[in-house]
Amino acid sequence: MLEPVLLADTLKEFLEDPAWLIGVPLVALGALGALLAMSPAGVARPQAPAAEGIVAGHPTPEVYIRIALILAVITAVEVAVYYVDALQGALLSILLILSAGKFVLVALFFMHLRFDNRIFSTLFTGGLLLVAVLFAVVLSTLGASLV
Amino acid sequence: MEHAPAQAGHLETSTGLDNRKLLMWLFLASECLFFGSLIGAYLLYRGRNLSPPCPQDTVLNGVACPGVYDIPFTSISSFVLLMSSLTMVLALAAIQRNDQRGLRVWLLATALLGITFLAGQAFEFTEFHNEGLSISSSLFGTTFFVLTGFHGAHVSVGVLILLSLFVMAWRGRLNQEQSLNVELIGLYWHFVDVVWIVIFTLVYLLQPT
Repeated sequence: MLEPVLLADTLKEFLEDPAWLIGVPLVALGALGALLAMSPAGVARPQAPAAEGIVAGHPTPEVYIRIALILAVITAVEVAVYYVDALQGALLSILLILSAGKFVLVALFFMHLRFDNRIFSTLFTGGLLLVAVLFAVVLSTLGASLV
Repeated sequence: MEHAPAQAGHLETSTGLDNRKLLMWLFLASECLFFGSLIGAYLLYRGRNLSPPCPQDTVLNGVACPGVYDIPFTSISSFVLLMSSLTMVLALAAIQRNDQRGLRVWLLATALLGITFLAGQAFEFTEFHNEGLSISSSLFGTTFFVLTGFHGAHVSVGVLILLSLFVMAWRGRLNQEQSLNVELIGLYWHFVDVVWIVIFTLVYLLQPT
């Protein structure tokens, strides 16, 4: 039966667990920071810079294929790590970082946040930030854990 | 409320951005909370009130509890959905350079990959059901089927919209000036993909200790 526990007790466990204390906020902040920092700041959509691999403000198909290959490799590494017994202790940290990397790559390149207006990034990261708050409050209040 | 563009890429709206695209991003932000709640519920109840079958192989009250997850199979499903994101952006790139044949090919490829993913999910659900896991058999079954079922419903809606776009493209009713339609559906499709990235890691790969 699910027993609600005092926030103070859970907070103590949270502070004593390095995976929670350092890993999760670091990955979450890194992902959100990357999404915001790598999107352009102007109000209007930026005119296409004459940079290599960029056409009309969006990447070329070659860039898309390179990103897809990287995503495929990360997925393969995730599954491989899952089966390596020696890495079970660091499974949470490794999988969270790899998953966040895939999330950021898709958002930046396939969803074009890297090239579109920062307002879109702000809206999306706002939603993600609310999810992070929801996770932190609900999971810590009711004593659940990722580990 | 849409105005003719004053110049390429700049619209005469209060933000200078297309309102439809702004609305789509706002919708996706709200969807983050929707899926965040379902994933949070799964994590909250994970490992509590377990009864066979379990997510992964484990020992329950001194008795071995067989796991239902088939990681190699789900990895292939995840790869299929990931590759559908590639074909989706290739469809967008095709319409932006007015390549109608490329648009049709990549839209159809995206829809077919989506259908492949759904077929894999249907197979997985059937296997789980045969092993005794149902939406009402345990907290694990309830939270798992609600989470992955809602994700599957989102993929199904995406496939229907993609097929609609394909029919429009086939009839020549989707031209370069309407590339934003493809871009908006693409944003929805990629979002469904990133949600699965999170589900695959948190639900399938992470094991409670």
